[in-house]
Amino acid sequence: MRLQISFKSGKPVYLQIVDQVKLAVASGGLRAGDALPGIRPLAESLRLNRNTIAKAYAELESQGVIDTNAGKGCFVKDGGSPYRKDARLEMLKDEIDTAVVQAHHLQIGRADFLKLAGARFDAFEQQRGTAPQD
Amino acid sequence: MTDTPAIEISGLVRRFGRRDAVDGLSLRVQPGRCYGFFGRNGAGKTTTIKCLLNLLRPTSGRVRVFGLDPQRDEVEVKSRLSYVPDNVAFYPWMTVSDVLEYVASFRTRWNADTERALLSRFRLDADQKASHLSKGQRTQLALIAAICPEPELLVLDEPTSGLDPIVRREFIQTVIGAYQDGDPGRRTVFVSTHLISEFEGLIDEFTIIDGGRDVLTLEADAARGRFEKPLEEIFVSTLQPTAVPA
Repeated sequence: MRLQISFKSGKPVYLQIVDQVKLAVASGGLRAGDALPGIRPLAESLRLNRNTIAKAYAELESQGVIDTNAGKGCFVKDGGSPYRKDARLEMLKDEIDTAVVQAHHLQIGRADFLKLAGARFDAFEQQRGTAPQD
Repeated sequence: MTDTPAIEISGLVRRFGRRDAVDGLSLRVQPGRCYGFFGRNGAGKTTTIKCLLNLLRPTSGRVRVFGLDPQRDEVEVKSRLSYVPDNVAFYPWMTVSDVLEYVASFRTRWNADTERALLSRFRLDADQKASHLSKGQRTQLALIAAICPEPELLVLDEPTSGLDPIVRREFIQTVIGAYQDGDPGRRTVFVSTHLISEFEGLIDEFTIIDGGRDVLTLEADAARGRFEKPLEEIFVSTLQPTAVPA
């Protein structure tokens, strides 16, 4: 997993790490049981404050993406979000709304939108299937 | 419960003759944070830092370090912090290991493992005379001397100016790695610099000082969110307001 941090985007640095780890898990770059880099080596190599890495890992843990094993480090979890399904759907609603609004302004109708969503699901699934194990 | 701030400055004024080097500065550094103190040359950064260390007495205002008065509780304050000035000087006849032994003799704690690890990381020869060290090596030696006592507060005054990029990078990685080891909640960094982009990832919160006053204090993430640009550009645009024609 290669993390790329940008100080130019307005996005908090810890959230950049959270999103990149989530992307890596969704696209097969990281698999259930894989270890995340330790806080100190990652902080040193990205030249980031340790607080930032620790905050990112705490956020990933609270979102149910990783598990922290005291003394051993952080590992990608095997599914199992801590939230109930209706809560999880609710969390997704805002993101979908953003895409729906954008679709409206780009004159993309429901059918094309759903087709694209399906294609993106397929793309991620395929990437997870073919991603090299390291 | 609120922790006692590592540093608390309110309304600090320090006058030299008729010139106010610091003119009503206030800031507060919570323990465990990396705090950036950004300002141009002559903005009052070093004067402020010297007031923290009782190397200068404030003309007025209040300075507290660990909740203590650096003037009245000088020994306790100094025993709990380390300071790396911009221009490091050692007794020229001492070798690298003499310097470290000498510094260690003033300290209650000294982590010899850290000393060995950092000497080898920086490829410093323990038998080298201090007078034969390059500027970069002197700064590295000062950093080792600052970190080995495992202080609660590390005060860095323009620590990397005049150093090459490789040494600067190693310096920052050492602060992240060796200094923040152990008890990160009690490892506070206060760094004054104008090389802001070098320290960007390290900074949790910062104050921009200009003309002896704090002109902007923000969390680094909040600042990037608000201005959508790196801290260095925020610094430049804060101090160079667009000229409004009269």
